[in-house]
Amino acid sequence: MGCRIVLAMGPSEDRSDVGRQLLSVVVDDDESVRESLPDLLREFGFAARAFSSAKDFLASGCVDETRCLILDIAMPGMSGPELQQELKSRGQRIPIIFITGQRDEAIRARVLEQGAAGFLFKPFSDSDLLAAIKTAMQTA
Amino acid sequence: MNARVEDSAQEIKRLQRCLNDLVSLLALPAIWSSEPSEMVAVLLEALLRTVSLDFAWARLTDPVSETAIEILRPSDSRQLKPIPIEIGEVVSDWLKRREGNSQLPPTIQLGKENLLIFPVPLGVEGEIGMIVVASEREDFPNQIESLLLSVATNQASIGLREAALLRKQKRIAIELEQRVAERTATLAQTNEELRRSEGKWKSVFDNSAVGVVLTSLSGRFIAANSVFQEMVGYAEDELQQFTFFEITHEEDIGLNRSLLGELFEGKSQQFQIEKRFQSKDGDFVWARLNVCMVSVSEQAPRFLMALVEDITQRRQSEEALAKARSELARVANITSLGVLTASIAHEVNQPLSGIITNAGTCMRMLSADPPNLDGARETVRRTIRDGNRAADVISRLRKLYSKKEPSPEPMDLNEATREVTALSLTDIQRSGAVLRHDLADDLPPVIGDRVQLQQVILNLLRNGADAMSTIDDRPRELLVRTERHEESQVRLSVKDSGVGFTPQTAEKIFEAFYTTKTDGMGIGLSISRSIIEAHQGRIWAMPNDGPGATFSFAIPCNPIA
Repeated sequence: MGCRIVLAMGPSEDRSDVGRQLLSVVVDDDESVRESLPDLLREFGFAARAFSSAKDFLASGCVDETRCLILDIAMPGMSGPELQQELKSRGQRIPIIFITGQRDEAIRARVLEQGAAGFLFKPFSDSDLLAAIKTAMQTA
Repeated sequence: MNARVEDSAQEIKRLQRCLNDLVSLLALPAIWSSEPSEMVAVLLEALLRTVSLDFAWARLTDPVSETAIEILRPSDSRQLKPIPIEIGEVVSDWLKRREGNSQLPPTIQLGKENLLIFPVPLGVEGEIGMIVVASEREDFPNQIESLLLSVATNQASIGLREAALLRKQKRIAIELEQRVAERTATLAQTNEELRRSEGKWKSVFDNSAVGVVLTSLSGRFIAANSVFQEMVGYAEDELQQFTFFEITHEEDIGLNRSLLGELFEGKSQQFQIEKRFQSKDGDFVWARLNVCMVSVSEQAPRFLMALVEDITQRRQSEEALAKARSELARVANITSLGVLTASIAHEVNQPLSGIITNAGTCMRMLSADPPNLDGARETVRRTIRDGNRAADVISRLRKLYSKKEPSPEPMDLNEATREVTALSLTDIQRSGAVLRHDLADDLPPVIGDRVQLQQVILNLLRNGADAMSTIDDRPRELLVRTERHEESQVRLSVKDSGVGFTPQTAEKIFEAFYTTKTDGMGIGLSISRSIIEAHQGRIWAMPNDGPGATFSFAIPCNPIA
């Protein structure tokens, strides 16, 4: 199974072939997250983009090609769960991994019920994230 | 011869009688009293006895009252027909007529009888009075009778003059005695009053619940009551070695001197001061003094009098209250710390999360073949940055929650605000609100306790965020603004778009334990008010024109800046 994902993601060495790389997107109002996570995602073999708000992401035009969404819960304006509902209502079925600093089990349970592919409390390790992505992609 | 012998024997008999009469008259002064009317009465009776008279009458002029006393003694042998008062009138009338006619014959008519009268003045010119004797005998008065009358009246005159003199002296003596007595009584009364007033003063002085102190103008103790002696632990004679400056706390001397200066210059009649005395055992006693200048008379030296009230306990309870208040503020701090724990964890979590992500990325970059060194370098740089960021959060927290005595210092309210908003940003954002700043560039520094003021700002931000937690139909916006306020103040306001408040609740908002929230203790705004009032400032709340409310406080800016 893991193999299939890696194959689907394409060999990490072959970065020049952008067309074959899957797009992952980070939406977080924290700038340091927007800086660091895309680098890690690229190490995993994804193409990666980051947005500071749900609104920006929705307006970016890359919603359709997004294969994995790493989404913060609490954000000014539209929150992570609200974006989840928005995408759902648009018929988008992008696998979403929520990340949050708040240990709020109620929210976790709610978003998972609403179809979230993963949920990580910060801080999480690179392997935690990779495992969550693999699971998410498999489900998708 | 026989007749001659008989005549001579009769003559001798008469002479003997006359001598006897003279002796008895001369003896009169020995028996008469000093009372003139009695004296005259005795005289008249003696005359009636020695001289054959129908009546003897006297009028005495009282030298003091100048009213005349008339005395009449009729002879026992004669029953006078007219009543005595008529005799007096007739005699007086005759005397009056004689003043106009010195040749008036010495006869008066009483009823049908004619009487010969013989007036004898008392005193050289009759100034003491007049004696009038009368007889129906035609030879009245004979030589012997004249002699007896003049001797008797002379005796009486001397006696009366002496008596008058005596009476005058007596009167003067009595008057003097009366005056002395009156004066003595007045003095006694004055003394009594003095004694009583001194007693009163003494009693006020000794039994007063407050200390009473008398000093010279230079401040040297002259007297001090027992209350004051106990207050400072010195006996009166020990105090008399000091000026009060010598047992006054050095920090209080300056104020004390300047208030005294105003008193001496006449700018004030009295003054109050709260100051510390150093007692004999070295402790300081807080006292409130009412000081005034007293003088007994214009010329007499003036003193300072002070009523001294021991307010050490009051001061201590004030300090205890202030401590309790700051303790309560700390409790509120801890309470909000509890509420904020999640967001603080988030604050620390953010950089921590960055560190772990960057370190993981770095590891992968270095493990690649060939290693991505540039990428690794960048991730290490971020790791260091995030590490510092976490350290900053910790140090800010330490500053905010360390238990410290209030320490006013010049400070920049904008900077203090930024520190607080940096800490509570996540909390606010989590509640779905947007926090905007509008901090004045030219804000003058204020004097204040940084941590306490930050506590107030934090309370206002939390209050605003909480007020918007149920708002879904409009943006949740918090605006924190600083600006100059009036002449010499700085204002900070937090505007929310929350549920606002009604005018009915406006008054209660700042009361302790008033809350509309289910999870609040209702002490945040009350603590905030205590803190702002301790900064000589004011805190208030106003409904917005639109939805929500604005909470503001204004405090004086640093007067030195």
